[in-house]
Amino acid sequence: MSGVLFHEQTARQRIAALADAGSFVELLAPPERITSPYLAQLGIPVSFDDGIVIGHAKIGGKKVYLAAQVGQFVGGAVGEIHGAKLTGLFKAAARDRVPCILLVESGGVRLHEGSAGEIAIAETMRAIFECRALKVPTIAVIATDIGAYGGIGILSTCCDHRIMTEHGRLGISGPIVIEKWMGKKAYNSADRALVWKTSGGKTKYLLGDADALVHDAPEAVRDALTKLIGKSKPVNLGSVKARQKELQNRLKRFGATDDPNVVWKGMGVRNIEAASLASGPEFAALAKRGK
Amino acid sequence: MEKFTKAFPSKPLPTKTAKPWALAGVVGSGNLEVLLESGGRPKDAMECHVETSIPGYKASWLAALADFAHHYPAGGTKVTINDQGAPPVLVTLRLRQAYDHLTKGDK
Amino acid sequence: MKKPTPKKTSARAVLARLFGASAKAIAIEKSVLTGYASVGGGKVCVIGTSNGTYIDNEAALRLAAHVIDCIEKNPKTPIVMLVDSAGQEPNRVAEMLGLASYFGHLLSCLELARRKGHKLITVATGQAVGGAFLCYGMFADRIYALDSATVGLMPISAMSAVTKIPAAVLQKLSKTMPSLEFGAAPFALLGGVEAVWSAKDDVQAKLEQAIATATSEDNRAELGKKRGGRKLALDIRKKVLAESAR
Repeated sequence: MSGVLFHEQTARQRIAALADAGSFVELLAPPERITSPYLAQLGIPVSFDDGIVIGHAKIGGKKVYLAAQVGQFVGGAVGEIHGAKLTGLFKAAARDRVPCILLVESGGVRLHEGSAGEIAIAETMRAIFECRALKVPTIAVIATDIGAYGGIGILSTCCDHRIMTEHGRLGISGPIVIEKWMGKKAYNSADRALVWKTSGGKTKYLLGDADALVHDAPEAVRDALTKLIGKSKPVNLGSVKARQKELQNRLKRFGATDDPNVVWKGMGVRNIEAASLASGPEFAALAKRGK
Repeated sequence: MEKFTKAFPSKPLPTKTAKPWALAGVVGSGNLEVLLESGGRPKDAMECHVETSIPGYKASWLAALADFAHHYPAGGTKVTINDQGAPPVLVTLRLRQAYDHLTKGDK
Repeated sequence: MKKPTPKKTSARAVLARLFGASAKAIAIEKSVLTGYASVGGGKVCVIGTSNGTYIDNEAALRLAAHVIDCIEKNPKTPIVMLVDSAGQEPNRVAEMLGLASYFGHLLSCLELARRKGHKLITVATGQAVGGAFLCYGMFADRIYALDSATVGLMPISAMSAVTKIPAAVLQKLSKTMPSLEFGAAPFALLGGVEAVWSAKDDVQAKLEQAIATATSEDNRAELGKKRGGRKLALDIRKKVLAESAR
């Protein structure tokens, strides 16, 4: 391991670390200067990639389409251009039968651009399922605090696979929004342990919403990608019926508790404290043994 | 937002660069992105375009850019900056990073 | 986010307007609609929300179960999705249990239906905002809205509260950028809605026509460009497709 933390890297560094050396070719690259007219009108700084770097590369010699959201730029949120780049990339993946990977880092729709971002997310969902119908694998990597929220949280669950780290968070409403709504007593957004046990990678892996839980390192993410880029999950009657049953059971078993430790125990974690301290892969191993 | 454009005298860029453009940094609070492109004219000037969310610091921007153009052979390049309130030291660092990427390639 | 406000038109009245006498067979349980009805003499499957209710894990599962039922028992029957929901309620337990995955599952079921030849038509009948619209309504082949429906991301007042941009500034910009405006008509300008049905319209005939003409090709970016509300999306997408083909 290089000692580099994946969650500390920028979008461009992440792509460089995951792709085979020199293989990344950016599409709609910064010199094209395709920037948001909405932000410009509002007097907010624009960015030449509009908060998402897209292109194609090779991973282990295999061609992939790759997108990385830029969390620092307006929270990685999806505006008209950002969203259209994403839709286009999944459509290109479907056309060329090439796996498509999204390095997620987004709070959802970019409010400054209103409904245009919302429609773009819906269009991208359609494009993701176009890939899936053709058995073209789609993978979301969720590995940072900004994570996958709002419409992008929902979109991430449309992909074949989700790779998470313990840093990653997946959901719809974030802790601050929930605290405002339910009160600090019900959800203290400053309680990091509770926040991560609610939406973090460990809980998502345990429940089966993340397919891999890996170290916060580009090498580890790359390893997980290598294992998954050849695999697609079918959407058929058998798969949706099985999932319906699974989600029903989950709601029945845990719908009445508000304590994530009860969920962890119920899913086979014996030692909560040890599991809380464990790294992602250690946790994954513990969880497996618990089952 | 404040916008300005100015060219600074600079020795010509080495004729062979690793790539035609390089980008350093991210547009985020207290940060900026610098896009550096080769192939511009004239070959003895660095052309700069700055857009910043914090108005009133034009003099220090011009000083930082003039200093960079003086110390690095960047003639024939175009520098375009989107800034969200980066401190001067970060501006210089990003310019250098972009220059290194352009001339030597990534990493 | 606003608490759901009770609608003047009752859920039953909306159903009757869309499906006539056949609406009686549609069940309303905790504001979630499931059932079968008929449109122009043909059978349709109906799923939806009413009364501006929140859509939670359980509601998503009930809608998904009905879609699966339709796929199994009524092959190729069109599915009409009605949307009147304020969104998902911010709730820690819902998040802990993976609400996003419940929504993703509902979308997967709808996708399976589409692949198996069911047409998917949405009619926004009340509130069609945020996650509640994204998790099923916006996934249709074609999307329509009653002119009384409130469609879009959020009202300008809410947008202003979150972004800290004065409402007056957003209001002024919305005159040239319909994306910032809230409502069925501006949403149609973006291509997000195929057509808005007015109170005078014979909506049963409109719905019959909608089902007959729907195709599964996503035409929203084309519409948005043609109508001028979303000028960039289609060209950006085309550019990605062109550059990636080189």
